[in-house]
Amino acid sequence: MNEQNNTKNGEELYSRQVVVANPHGLHARPAGKLAQEALGFKSSISIVLDGQEVDAKSILDILTLAAGEGSILELRAAGEDAEQALNVLEKLFASRFEEE
Amino acid sequence: MPGKTISGIPVASGIVIGKAIFVNRSHKATLLRQTVAASLVEKEVERLEKAFAETESELAEIRSQVPDELKDYKMLIDTHLLMLKDPQLKGTAAEYIRSLSLNAEWALEKAVSDQEVKFGAVEDPYIRERMQDVRVVSDRVQSKLAGRAVDFKAMQGRFIIMAHDLSPADTVALEVDKIMAFATVQGGKTSHTGIMARTLGIPAVVGVSDLERYVNDGDLVIIDGISGKIIINPGDDVLADYNERAAKFEEYSRKIKRRCQLPAETLDGFRVNVFANIELVEEVAAVLDNGGEGIGLYRTEYAYMNRTALPSEDELTERYSELASIMSPRRVVFRTLDLGADKFISHYGELNEANPAMGLRAIRFCLKHPKLFKTQLRAILRASAHGNVAIMFPMISGIKEIRQAKAWLAQAKAELRREGVAYDPDMSVGIMVELPAAVMVAEFLAQEVDFFSIGTNDLIQYSIGVDRINRHVAYLYQPLHPATLKSIKLVVDAAHQAGIEVSLCGEVASDPFCVPLLMGMGIDSLSLTPQAIPGIKRIIRQTQMRECRALLKQVMQCRTVHRINSLVMDSIFKSYPEELTFFASLLENDEAPA
Repeated sequence: MNEQNNTKNGEELYSRQVVVANPHGLHARPAGKLAQEALGFKSSISIVLDGQEVDAKSILDILTLAAGEGSILELRAAGEDAEQALNVLEKLFASRFEEE
Repeated sequence: MPGKTISGIPVASGIVIGKAIFVNRSHKATLLRQTVAASLVEKEVERLEKAFAETESELAEIRSQVPDELKDYKMLIDTHLLMLKDPQLKGTAAEYIRSLSLNAEWALEKAVSDQEVKFGAVEDPYIRERMQDVRVVSDRVQSKLAGRAVDFKAMQGRFIIMAHDLSPADTVALEVDKIMAFATVQGGKTSHTGIMARTLGIPAVVGVSDLERYVNDGDLVIIDGISGKIIINPGDDVLADYNERAAKFEEYSRKIKRRCQLPAETLDGFRVNVFANIELVEEVAAVLDNGGEGIGLYRTEYAYMNRTALPSEDELTERYSELASIMSPRRVVFRTLDLGADKFISHYGELNEANPAMGLRAIRFCLKHPKLFKTQLRAILRASAHGNVAIMFPMISGIKEIRQAKAWLAQAKAELRREGVAYDPDMSVGIMVELPAAVMVAEFLAQEVDFFSIGTNDLIQYSIGVDRINRHVAYLYQPLHPATLKSIKLVVDAAHQAGIEVSLCGEVASDPFCVPLLMGMGIDSLSLTPQAIPGIKRIIRQTQMRECRALLKQVMQCRTVHRINSLVMDSIFKSYPEELTFFASLLENDEAPA
């Protein structure tokens, strides 16, 4: 949970590490929830896996990331509600996207 | 291209000549590729955004009407809605319009291809398959962009319907009296298009791979539903020849229809009941006209398709009661919902199953959605007060399933009794025998029900492991495969041993080459498409039961389909040469591709 502060286009860049705990990885349902939540924030939010950075507001991007169970992802957000966004998204990962 | 002939698989006989019209081309084949002037670029972006917005509100509307019990279905629509909002689709498409001056259609297709590349690179097969969802979504947007769903109401005259594929939902939307024939790119011998065409009594050719390449809207085409040929913009001599052939076929059809009200009784006095398979109450007239003695299979799926809300119990009761009372005292067998991943739900793909034919469908789907199932059971029971009604469960694989289905039926009866609603307490209960597992345990299943109905389309498909709409393996779909014949015989024998009746309701029942063998086995009734009843009754009336038995005995010793086919053909050509004048050309299509 090492939050490092950097800058992106002059805005504070927040980042946080999360783990994919869903047994089938980020498949359609969790990817959908993630994108849905991300769309609700003004900040730009991205997900990084093995150096590949994708838009967290795009379900297609999240799907093609093909993050399997146990993958460690970095969430990055920059913008007025960046911190808040990361808090909400982190919770989603922690709760396994509310899947059984 | 004048006089060009292309061909496919003939699935409903008859010959017509008329104007072609496409109801759905695959968007890929007809995609408009244009660039737009710089001054119009922003207009084009607006057009794209409007199409996305319209698709979104359409999907949101559909979503709001999905009942809660179909949660997965809702989830899938949510995924599609998210894809519509996705910057990778709409955003990229808009970018292409601006940077490359592409028209909206082409820009969207390019954005979709980008996704195809990305998804194609993913190893996980589950995620790779999500590309289908992207396609479904973009197709919806493409049709909004095209803005030209065919408006049948506005059209004058009658047409030959051309399509990439016709789903059951598509055919529901068609104006039936404006259709002369069907031709589709997709499909095999027993696909839905064929069933639909035979029901309507119009010719159809499916699996015509070159259709979209050679036929244009407005072309004059000849559809030969006997040989499977489609001739585009024919010359005068060909036209004259086909006009004559069409007239001859008409005459033959009329001739056999004249005597269709006579009972189906062999020359030596054995009687078979000939029932009809239907899906719409409106078809009752065709059933009675063609000499059908009842409804052996009422497909109940139509009430559930091409709509966003499920039908209510009262609505179903009204439909079913109407049918039961019109047919009374003749029997009507209601098959409970045979829906699943391949129909209805698959439009959005509740589960997106890799193998829908082996997935959550028919009785499995119903047992998983008991509320939906019980609504239907109550409606069928309520209709049983208005006529001679029987119920039949599809795709039963063993004892446990039939007992579960019967338990729900008992519960529905108990509820109605408590509520003081009338129903027939002795309504017959049967099952479709269409899984090899059900064949093997037929003797046990026969103890649980009042009748069997053999569903040969699926039985053959599951026994031989052939997807009947897959053009590459369709040649393996062999009704006269020794395994098929042994299976049917086993089921008939098991039923008779237990003292219950056995019917056959697959395509085989309308195949002149199969009927004499079924007779020899002692099948009690056949249920077939209404239009085929006159021909089959005529064959039965020209038959000697002892010849059927002798033929069967010989056939049951055969080890190859080839040998069986030639035995049956010899015998049939001898007995009914006239019937086969028009059907002989079908035989060529049974050969494996070279």
